Amino acid sequence: MNNVPEPRTPPQAALKSDRLFINLGPQHPSTHGVLRIGLTIDGEVIVKAVPDIGYLHRGTEKLAEVRNYHHCVVLTDRWDYVAAMPNNLVFCLAAEKLMGVKTTPRADALRVIMCEMNRIASHLLFFGTYGIDLGALTPFLYAFREREMILDLFEMSCGARLTYNYIRLGGVMTDVSPEWLKRTTEFVEYFKPRLDEYDTLLTYNPIFMNRTQGVGIVSPQEAVSWALSGPNLRGSGVNHDVRKSDPYSGYENYDFDVPLGKTGSCWDRYFCRVQEMRQSVRIIEQAIAKLPDGPFMASGVAKIPKPAPGEAYAHVEGARGDLGIYLASDGGISPFRLHVHAPSFINLAMLQEKLVGMKVSDVIALLGSIDIVLGEVDR
Amino acid sequence: MTNDEVFAKISAKFPMVEKAAVQVKDYLTVRLSSKDDLLPFAQWAKDSSFDMLETVTATDLLGPVDMKGYIRQQNFNPFLPDGATPQIESAPTTGYPYRPAMDLLWVFFSVAEKARVFVRLELPREGISAPSLVPLFKSADWQEREAFDLLGIGFEGHPNLTKILTPDFTQGHPLRKDYVHIKDRFDE
Amino acid sequence: MTAKKPDPEDKKPEPAAAPAPVPVPAAAAPAPAPAAKAAPPKYVPPTPVLNRGNGRLIEDRFTTWPTQVFADRWSRPGYQWGAGMLAGILLGFAVTSALIGELAGWGDKLYSLLGAQGLPPLAVEAIWVAIKVILVMHVILINGLWSIWWERKISAHIQTRVGPTYAGSPKGWNFHGWAQTAIDGIKLFLKEDVTPAAADKWVHALAPAIVVVPCIIAFAPVLFGDGLAAASLDIGTLYIFAFAGISVIGIVMAGWGSGNKYSLLGGLRGAAQMVSYELPRGFSVVPVLMFAGSLDLQVIANAQAGYWQGIIPRWFIFYPVVGQLAFTIFLIASVAETNRTPFDIPEAESELVSGFHTEYSGMKWSIFFLAEYAYVLLGSFLLATFFLGGGASPINAVPFTLVPSWLWMLGKAMLMMFVFLWIRWTLPRFRVDQLMDYCWKFLLPWSFVNIAFAGLYLAFWLK
Repeated sequence: MNNVPEPRTPPQAALKSDRLFINLGPQHPSTHGVLRIGLTIDGEVIVKAVPDIGYLHRGTEKLAEVRNYHHCVVLTDRWDYVAAMPNNLVFCLAAEKLMGVKTTPRADALRVIMCEMNRIASHLLFFGTYGIDLGALTPFLYAFREREMILDLFEMSCGARLTYNYIRLGGVMTDVSPEWLKRTTEFVEYFKPRLDEYDTLLTYNPIFMNRTQGVGIVSPQEAVSWALSGPNLRGSGVNHDVRKSDPYSGYENYDFDVPLGKTGSCWDRYFCRVQEMRQSVRIIEQAIAKLPDGPFMASGVAKIPKPAPGEAYAHVEGARGDLGIYLASDGGISPFRLHVHAPSFINLAMLQEKLVGMKVSDVIALLGSIDIVLGEVDR
Repeated sequence: MTNDEVFAKISAKFPMVEKAAVQVKDYLTVRLSSKDDLLPFAQWAKDSSFDMLETVTATDLLGPVDMKGYIRQQNFNPFLPDGATPQIESAPTTGYPYRPAMDLLWVFFSVAEKARVFVRLELPREGISAPSLVPLFKSADWQEREAFDLLGIGFEGHPNLTKILTPDFTQGHPLRKDYVHIKDRFDE
Repeated sequence: MTAKKPDPEDKKPEPAAAPAPVPVPAAAAPAPAPAAKAAPPKYVPPTPVLNRGNGRLIEDRFTTWPTQVFADRWSRPGYQWGAGMLAGILLGFAVTSALIGELAGWGDKLYSLLGAQGLPPLAVEAIWVAIKVILVMHVILINGLWSIWWERKISAHIQTRVGPTYAGSPKGWNFHGWAQTAIDGIKLFLKEDVTPAAADKWVHALAPAIVVVPCIIAFAPVLFGDGLAAASLDIGTLYIFAFAGISVIGIVMAGWGSGNKYSLLGGLRGAAQMVSYELPRGFSVVPVLMFAGSLDLQVIANAQAGYWQGIIPRWFIFYPVVGQLAFTIFLIASVAETNRTPFDIPEAESELVSGFHTEYSGMKWSIFFLAEYAYVLLGSFLLATFFLGGGASPINAVPFTLVPSWLWMLGKAMLMMFVFLWIRWTLPRFRVDQLMDYCWKFLLPWSFVNIAFAGLYLAFWLK
């Protein structure tokens, strides 16, 4: 189906057609937060789209400049609040690079388990809300049933369900209990067949496929030019995963595949995420099977760290893409400069160009498939 | 490609580009000599497999951050007595070369080669501007707007260089070290 | 969740007031295989885990750990309650239909009683019509009470929830929140009625009425059982379609009069959709009309009486190919006419916020819903009349054929209503252009083809 219609020109002057400006957001059920898009529509077709962000701008990069490094971990939770573990991790990786701290194998494995579970939780949220965006209300409840179990596990390990602050400089906050490991194994076993259930419920639904296949196609060249990352990039068929290309926390020791899309449509991006959940399950299984013993926190992390002047960059494959931290130190107790390479922010930029020529319903399909979190867009 | 191979390629094409004195740990960092080098370098990067512009940002190298740039009081713990030692503070460290300049940073990434190169360019703070990379890389659009909004860097040739994150009434550029917060209608 | 732990505030426990969770009446539980076991294993909640982070006790939530739910379903109180609920639904069928059916059965006596009073014939007729109108209007109101509760329960169980559970009496007569809709109705009555400043006041206020009034009128010839209709019209089918088509004007008025761009888009979409889907809806019934040879609903129902070989009922849905195709098209078009998912693009919560009723609140808003559920009921009764044999029994055997026709009719209509709900809570939404394509390029041509098939049947088989 050709989704870019030809520009409509009124046949005669007598047939007067006006364009309509509508505000999509900042309060709208499908913008997933406080995103505002100014849409100029001609009938059902969009002729101009202007995304407007910044409603959630809290200036964490500025706030970090007067806090010490331990305090900054708390700030990171608030970027991507749907998947906060990778945020903790990436800041800790950058700061550890700056300080020259080496983490223990057990801490690395726990970090991997937590990040992968958080990836599953985040993708489940995406799965559910994407269904709602397209009118299927039921998958949401199924996704939340499983997400609730993951959050319970997080609560069991660190006491928080959303902003964990679990991964700390030099390791993790606290060790996990044998009960936790047992329950996590139980969860993994329970979760694997649920993925097939999701496929029957939404993935291969003909109406769903009609709505998403062939809609919002991003070619590989475009994806690279927009510097997309994560499932948005891989949905276009570009094989780039930080866990493979620039491994951290021992990801090189785990056996997993990188699911790739074919055409770069909304469905491909969606399908990449669903497949990634399977790969995350594989990683968690391996990590639990060979979880090494030992301390969960490296020694040598000062209470108020003062790293030597220098610069470090660390990046991880977060749930939304390549999440990077550029950290510069002037030798003081606070970062001299903290810059977040926020995947949601960069992925969202393509909206202004891709929306033109689409239908109003497709705005929701495309926006949902990019899977943004406004806390990370605005930081 | 290792960092040395990438640098060999770069220095073969651009002899004036040298390795930066302060390297970003584990990654190749090169320093441009002037802002005229940027566009040729970016064009070369795009043509030679460094086809993804990951990051556009900058660091303000002026002294420590001004506490007047924060809305909250320094002592935000209500249980502490008046006049207690501030909980948050900014103190200059000895030995760091603070100077009125900005250090711009571009990160180019090669998807095919999985190689990354950090490009730095130091420019004086007053009336700072650099060429825009929007014609070459679409990802530069919002990131340059962000750098303009938060750091006040002008990008020549950007099609729509407007504020993006801060509200319209915010005056100044918050990530500048000498930013002072001016009270607006949302402050009590 | 269930009142398992004793209430600490209950100081002197009386046997009556004590929160005694009756698991399920033994007679109400259907007896599938698990019940045949001697004693189902008691559900043992997992031991609470102490949170290592803050020392807080992690309490088991009401579903606790779904792995255990899947391990042994019948040991869970929820499933036993579910079985009780099914029994309750069946009981509800019987009671509701008995009320409707038996009351209507007294009609002739009542009419002759009126005539014996020595009133002029015109007055008798007027009183008689008034009684019938009041009865039919009550069908719509009671349907609102019933089907909203039913939809909430069905959707909840489809979505692994339990739905309303508390509304009812504090003394424990809160059978699955039976009073939920009534209490919701009171809430809607008490809500502030907001008219936006940008709205066209009159159009805004009139729109709900224009949606709901044709719906009530359209119920006049609907068949509730053999001979049970407020008005037996020769052109009943045409009459229903004609009046049901008027409601779209109300939706356009609501969209236009709200002064909201989203509502406007919703109203326009609604107009396009409902006008389009009336065509396949109308044409899909044409084979039925051809077979029955009449537009009168009673004649159509009577035409389906009897059994092939004494076993298979001669319902139109069992006519090979033509019947099934007509049934499917009519069902799909009926779902589209009621603006329900997957055809809810005029409302499209995630795109147009709520479409044409974004700016409505309180009773005006609920009148839109009353009309929606009335149309669902109308569609269900029409499906039962056109394709499922009206009040005929599906099984040609004694205990079934003795069941009164209005009970069969109601059961079939409720089955169809369940299909409506099932579709709604399973499928995602179409896009506008796909919706139109589906109507004009798929449903409409096939309904024409179906008419041709029906003509062949008439020519070679039925005559």
